[in-house]
Amino acid sequence: MVDRWLRREDERLLTGAGRFVADLRVPGCLDAVFVRSEVAHGVLREADCSAARETPGVAGAWSAADLPGLPPMPDTRQGEATREWPSLVKNRVRYPGEALAVVLGDDRYRAEDGAGRVLVRIDPLPAVVTAEEAAGDEVRLFDGLSNVALHGEAGQPIDDEVWERAAVVVESDYRQQLLMPSPMECRTILCVPEGDRLTVWSGHQAPHRLRSDLARLLGRPEKSIRVVVPDTGGAFGSKSAVFPEFIVVAWLAERLGRPVRWIEDRRESLLVATRGRGQDQHVRLAADADGRLVAYELTVEADVGAYPHLGVAFPMQTAWMATGPYTTPQVHATVRSVLTNTMMTYPYRGAGRPEATSPLERTMDVLARRLDLDPAELRRRNLIPPEQFPYRTPTGRVYDSGDHLAALDLALRTLDYDGWRAEQARRRADPGALPVGVGLSCYVERSGGERGSLHDYVGVEAGEDGGVVARCGASSSGQSHATVFPALVAETLGVDPARVRLVEGDTDELPGGVGSFGSRSAQIDGAGLQHAATLLIEEARERAARMWDLPVEETAWSDGAVHPVRGTAAMGLSELVKRTGPLRIDERYEADMAFPFGTHAAVVEVDPDLGTVRVLRLVAVDDCGRALDPAVVRGQAFGSVVQGLGQALYEGVPFGDDGVPVLGNGLLDYLLPTYAEIPPIELGETRTPTPRTPLGAKGAGESGCIGTPPAIVNAVADALRLDHPDRLQMPLTPDVVWRAAA
Amino acid sequence: MKITLTVNDEAYPLDVEPRRVLADALRDDCGLTGTHLGCEQGVCGACTVLVDGEAVRSCLLLAVQCDGVPIRTVEGLAGADGEPHPLQRAFSAERGLQCGFCTPGFLMLAAGALERDPALGEEEVAALVGSNLCRCTGYEPIRRAIMRAARDHRNGQEA
Repeated sequence: MVDRWLRREDERLLTGAGRFVADLRVPGCLDAVFVRSEVAHGVLREADCSAARETPGVAGAWSAADLPGLPPMPDTRQGEATREWPSLVKNRVRYPGEALAVVLGDDRYRAEDGAGRVLVRIDPLPAVVTAEEAAGDEVRLFDGLSNVALHGEAGQPIDDEVWERAAVVVESDYRQQLLMPSPMECRTILCVPEGDRLTVWSGHQAPHRLRSDLARLLGRPEKSIRVVVPDTGGAFGSKSAVFPEFIVVAWLAERLGRPVRWIEDRRESLLVATRGRGQDQHVRLAADADGRLVAYELTVEADVGAYPHLGVAFPMQTAWMATGPYTTPQVHATVRSVLTNTMMTYPYRGAGRPEATSPLERTMDVLARRLDLDPAELRRRNLIPPEQFPYRTPTGRVYDSGDHLAALDLALRTLDYDGWRAEQARRRADPGALPVGVGLSCYVERSGGERGSLHDYVGVEAGEDGGVVARCGASSSGQSHATVFPALVAETLGVDPARVRLVEGDTDELPGGVGSFGSRSAQIDGAGLQHAATLLIEEARERAARMWDLPVEETAWSDGAVHPVRGTAAMGLSELVKRTGPLRIDERYEADMAFPFGTHAAVVEVDPDLGTVRVLRLVAVDDCGRALDPAVVRGQAFGSVVQGLGQALYEGVPFGDDGVPVLGNGLLDYLLPTYAEIPPIELGETRTPTPRTPLGAKGAGESGCIGTPPAIVNAVADALRLDHPDRLQMPLTPDVVWRAAA
Repeated sequence: MKITLTVNDEAYPLDVEPRRVLADALRDDCGLTGTHLGCEQGVCGACTVLVDGEAVRSCLLLAVQCDGVPIRTVEGLAGADGEPHPLQRAFSAERGLQCGFCTPGFLMLAAGALERDPALGEEEVAALVGSNLCRCTGYEPIRRAIMRAARDHRNGQEA
């Protein structure tokens, strides 16, 4: 029954045998519950835990005042520690839900009993929840310091003359709303101290980074900490950092010498999990009379949340990617990162590229209307042609490869673009028909990481038993690594995939690692594993050459065995290891970033009287170079399109006047798409391998969050024939659409 | 309170507080951690189990309400001989799971429906899939998996 399960992950996950952190049972483990601020901004006057400590089943309760040595959140910015982010609030609350105290109980029920008895008094301050509001500094999050925490730019400023001379200039404002990444499993950490070791179990994207962060914070050697990532229930960018709650839990576990865990619940998650996007944008796009782009300017006001520690420079990703897939000769992007009374903004699937793609693609459609050009034709005139790669953009990126026109053409064909335009014309002539709109979005993303994180640990080891172990620093949260990476190593070695198993997500089992984020695992770890397997073949041939007293060129490798070029006596890996000793390759593999791309298209029907949007068709054509496992890539592409649909139409974080998110009814208020919202979605692929690795894989899995939202919004604007697209801001709720249509 | 939970045909005598929710009793007292908690407010459906044949959100039910009532969880889905349930095969074949966290809920929801009506049609399946949340797959593979399982189930019965 070899073929019973398509993926190696499937059997345990389908039979209830998966092991997520909350499933691990450690005797004597205490559950942590945090007492959280109900106000967005205020001065903490009192957090009295004495009654909580008397609660049956409560092992302890602490506010910041009770834990003077508790380390604060690490600050990734060099030499700037003036804005401290305490792990428990010391005197100032800066975002709703910020942790004021922690209660440990024999189980969650006891700990919550205790948490309910912590007495808290906060004097509220006015809260600022948008970058625009906060940038004025009327309300300061840190006394004596501006809320503006970073200025950045990419490209060169554009002369006024350029705008004055251009045949057409389009200006518009857009809001990239805050989104909750919302993996189905919220954040988790379980810390188990044993002797001089601390074992940390966490659903996490970067176990080695978590280990080094905790080691530094707790002041102990890295080797004394083991981080293990068991099954992880999705992440989408939200599980790659150390968080205040993690520090509290690790600190208390160490101090008490007892296992402690924190299993975040959805209510907490909606308040204090990292959020994505959060940008207010202004754009100017200039073109000549033929529709050739002349200049593009993007101004970003980024809401980075209450503390600048991890996400402050992150909006630069949007600035660097502002050029998009076009040959625009002049592009200038500026970023202002502003502190607001919200939990921090941090990478969420797409991470900076959706925020770059959306304003450009929406403005392209306005420009097309202004020029009376078909939006597909406008894009065709400006897409970077294949022969111009590698292409250096005015905003500092060097795109590796691409065939954007091929992706656009495939998307148009798959959609039946001309057919829908004809249907649109038919409906426009029929006063009784609901309008349809067609929207396009051409995107380019960056995958692999930034300088400094474009490498990972990879290794391949052959055993005496004929088995092969592949090791890498990636960390799966649903991406099928245990299936895909062994298959790749097996293919490279020419052995049966069943002989190869993957080890990842355990710092004791790996000499190092970076993790899985920014669509880097296939591109960096995949290419690295292929490289390591190739090195293993070379080493095997050298050993065989010595053994057989032949020059190495007289040996060859095929089907998992080395053999003399002349002759048939092959020697398999297991025999070779038995004869010559352990055979193991450990490498630090480094490669450059790559730039996946594609075109997404949407057809929508809008009811202007009700403001409702019905998506009739979505097409997503993506190019991620070589797909290691095309079905796995398609699965991720599909899910990603649905998350993009969520941003376009449903998801958002509304705030009350007090600065507290209006999400009191949890997932009944934060609207994740359900099956009832899924339109017909068709995927297409073009294949342009990256020349930057022999493998040719670029990142996959984030494309839908990048390409889909502007395609849908453009389709709605097209249906309504809107000249001023800034009236349509995501999510396109019936209220938003109805007002725009009015 | 002393109760007995009967889960997957096995009896678990428990002494639980009246406030203890069924999901916690299953996970922590019975050690059946295949049932997952995704929202604890009855929206996401990751914790769906069968109570007396009906699919329920086990985060919204108290353990004491289930005293003596037969319960089935994902651990009891495969046949007694260990043969996977048609749904388990179909979810793998159609790639109806990625991270797998929501999967037990979808499996039990569909298992309950299939047992009640082996001739599940497109509309019924669409309604089923629309009642739980998944953040990885985009649902379509889950819909296909349930349709495939319904087909296999029928064929199996005919054979």
